[in-house]
Amino acid sequence: MGSPCELVCEALERRAAHELSSIVAAEAWRIEDKFSRYLDGNIVDAINSAGGRPVEVDDETAQLLDFAVTLYELSERRFDITSGVLRQAWHFDGSDRVPADSRVQAVLELVGWHRVAWQRPLLQMPRGMEIDLGGIAKEYAVDRCAALLREQGGGPCLVNFGGDLAVTEPPAQRVRWKVAIEGERDGEADRIVDLKQGALATSGDARRFLLKNGVRYSHILDPTTGWPVPDAPRSVTVAADTCTQAGMISTLAMLEGAGAEAFLDAQAVTSWCRR
Amino acid sequence: MSKKDNRSISAALAMATCSLLGSGIPAPVDAQEEPEWDFNTSLLYYGEDGDRVKDYSVKAIARRMFVDDRVLSLSMTVDSLTGATPNGAIRQDTAQTFTRPSGNAAYDVQSGVLPLDDTFLDTRVALTANWQQPVGETSLVNVGASASKEYDYTHFGVNAKIARDFNKRNTTLAAGIALSIDSLDPVGGAPAPLTPMLDVGDTSNRIGNQDKDVLDVVLGVTQVVNRNLVVQANYSYSKSDGYLTDPYKVLSIVDGTTGDTLLRTPTPGVEGPSHQVLFESRPGDRTKHSVYTQAKYYMNGKVLDASYRYMTDDWEIDSHTVDLRYRWPVGEDRYIEPHLRLYTQSEAEFYRLSLVDSDPLPVFASADYRLGNFDAVTAGAKYGWKTSNDNDMSVRLEWYRQSGSVPAAQVVGNQATRDNYPDLNAVILQFSYRF
Amino acid sequence: MKIKIGLAAAAVVFAAGCSSMGVEPWERDILAREDMQMTTDEAEAVTDEHIYFSKEASSGGRGFGGGGCGCN
Repeated sequence: MGSPCELVCEALERRAAHELSSIVAAEAWRIEDKFSRYLDGNIVDAINSAGGRPVEVDDETAQLLDFAVTLYELSERRFDITSGVLRQAWHFDGSDRVPADSRVQAVLELVGWHRVAWQRPLLQMPRGMEIDLGGIAKEYAVDRCAALLREQGGGPCLVNFGGDLAVTEPPAQRVRWKVAIEGERDGEADRIVDLKQGALATSGDARRFLLKNGVRYSHILDPTTGWPVPDAPRSVTVAADTCTQAGMISTLAMLEGAGAEAFLDAQAVTSWCRR
Repeated sequence: MSKKDNRSISAALAMATCSLLGSGIPAPVDAQEEPEWDFNTSLLYYGEDGDRVKDYSVKAIARRMFVDDRVLSLSMTVDSLTGATPNGAIRQDTAQTFTRPSGNAAYDVQSGVLPLDDTFLDTRVALTANWQQPVGETSLVNVGASASKEYDYTHFGVNAKIARDFNKRNTTLAAGIALSIDSLDPVGGAPAPLTPMLDVGDTSNRIGNQDKDVLDVVLGVTQVVNRNLVVQANYSYSKSDGYLTDPYKVLSIVDGTTGDTLLRTPTPGVEGPSHQVLFESRPGDRTKHSVYTQAKYYMNGKVLDASYRYMTDDWEIDSHTVDLRYRWPVGEDRYIEPHLRLYTQSEAEFYRLSLVDSDPLPVFASADYRLGNFDAVTAGAKYGWKTSNDNDMSVRLEWYRQSGSVPAAQVVGNQATRDNYPDLNAVILQFSYRF
Repeated sequence: MKIKIGLAAAAVVFAAGCSSMGVEPWERDILAREDMQMTTDEAEAVTDEHIYFSKEASSGGRGFGGGGCGCN
C-alpha cells in the first residue's frame, strides 16, 4: 500500500489479536499483489502491457473498473484511472522542475478513459496507455478488511492504512475512537477526531509539490489539462460511512481546487479542509 | 461539476460503493472533531437548617486540550454566603447581648438559645489556572496558580506537581508542592487574642490585618493491581504559619460552680455585651500529616470508589474519614451513585467549652465547634445521565449531619443540663453539566 | 525531614514490589473508563473539599489541602 498499515483491536488475548491481524494482513497483501501497478504478472500489469489487445478481467477487477467509471462520470472526467502516465512529465519532489507544456501535451495523448473500450469483462485500450487503481485500492482494502473483521466477529477494530481508516464498531469502554490527524509537520497532530462509527480518509500530501517563481504546484493533476489543479487545498479529510466514500469525496474535493470547501459543504459530509 | 449536481454526487457515490463492497456496508458514520474547550459547570446549594449558613455557589471549569496531552485548565467559583454561625459562647438561661464583629452594633440572643452571629454574609470569588504538560515519555508536570477574594480575606497560591509512570504505566509516583499566601482583613479589625468583647464603638483591642502562609507537600503512588482494580496512597504534609485564629469566635467566661456565664454591665448609654466573653486564641502554627488511600474497583459494570484518610496534627486533632461511592449503571447511559461518608475527629488540645474565671487564663483557647470532638455522616446519591447531545448531566442530593460532644471534664455546673454542642444538619444539592 | 525521606523510601520499595502487579497495555480497556479515574468529577471533588474544609478540622489528602478561604 506504500504506507504503514496497522490494525488496532480490543482483543484481550494475544491469540485473538494475532488471528485478526492475520486476516487483515492477508487481505491487504492480496489486494496489493493483485492491483499494484508496480508488480509484474498481476491483472493491472496484464492490462497495461496488453499492447492494444483486449484483456478479459475477473469480477473483482470489473467491479473496481465499474466504480472508476462512475467516478469518471461524476467528476466530469477529472477522476481518471488512466491519468497515471502524467507522472512521466511531472515529478513532485519539492523542486522547481515544472515541465514544459509541450511535454505535458505529448503525454496527455495517452490519457483519457474515453479512449478506452470497456465492455465487461473485456477491456481494450491503445498501446502506451496505463491504468492505475492506486487511487481506489487502498480505501477499498480498508473497507474489505473491516468487512472481514466484522464477519469474523472480531469486536471493536480500527483498520488504518496510511491514514485512510475505518472502524468496525465503537470501542467497548471508551465509546469513541480518538483519531489524531497529522498536520503540517511530521508526527504532530493537527486535530483530534472522535470516531464512533464509520471511516476517515485524507487526500493531499503537504510534502508532494513543486515550487517555481513563488507558485506552488500541487500533485493533484487535472487529466483534462495535464496540469495541477490550481488552488487545491493542502489536504482534505472526510468522514463517511465507508473509507471508499470518504476517500473519493476527498479526492473529488481536491480536484475542485478553489471550490473544494463549497463542494464539501454541498455534500453535507463532516470534513476538514487545510490550505 | 456543476453545483446543482453536488448533492447527487454523494448519493451516486454511496450506491457505487455499495455495489463495489457488496454486503459489507456498515452502520452510518458518526464522527466529530474533538472540541477544543470543554466545560464542567455546577450549581450548588448548601443549606444548614435553621437560620444557619446557606451557600449558593456557581462553578465553571474550562479545559483547553492541546495535542500531545497538554492541557490548560481555568476555573472560576462564585459563592454567595448568608446566615448565622455559632459565635462560640454557650447557651444561657437569660437573654444575651453581643457586640457585632464590626464593633458598630449589638445583637441579642434569646434565653436558652445557642448564640449565633447572624452578620455572616459574604461573596467569595475564586480563580484557578493550571497548565499540564508531558515531559518525556513517562512524566507529567502540572503547574498552577490560584487566587480568591472575599470581603475579609484574600488568597494567593501557587502549586506544582510531577508524576512519573513506571512498570508499563502500572505504577505512578507523584510529588506535589503548594504554597499559599493569605491575608485577613477582618470586619472591624482582628481582635487581640483572649481580650474581652468590648462595648459598641470601643475598638481599643483591635490589632488590624493579619497574614497566614500554608505549605503543602503531597507524595503519592498509584498502582494498577489488575484489569479491574487501581489503588492509590498519598502522604500529605501541611504547615500553616501566622494568624490561624478565627477573629469572630469567642469563649464564655463562667462561674466555677454554677457554670453560668459571668454578667457584665456595658458603659451607661452605650450598647455592649451583657456577659463576659473573650476572643479566642490559637497557636501561630499548625503541622498536619495525613495518609490517604483510595481504591477504584470495577465489578461487571458497577464501580466501587472507596477511600480512607487518617489525619493527625500538632493541635492533637486526629481524624478518620471513610468515603464510599458506588456507581450503578441504569440502562445505557444513566447511573445512580449512592454516597456515604463517615468522619470522626478528636478535639484540639486547646478546645474549651468555656473558661472558668477562677482558673489561670490559658495561652490558647477556642470554643469553635469545628475544633471539638464530633462525628459526621454524609449520605446521599447522585443521578447522572447523558443528554440528547451527548453531554453529561448530574444531580446529587446529600445530607450532612454533625453531632459532637464536649469532654465531661469541661462541663461545669448548670452546663450539664444544657445542650452544649451545636449539632449541624445540612443539605447539599448540586447540579453539574459537562459540555 | 526524616519522615519525608522515610516515606519516599517506602514509596520506592512499594513501587518495586508492585512490578509484579498490573496489566499489559492492551488490557487497559476498563481502567480507561471515565468512571474508573481516581477523580471522576472534578467539580464535585473541589466542592466537597471546600465544604468539609470549612466545617471540619481536616482537609486535603486526595490532593492539596484546599483552603484559600476565610471560612476556617
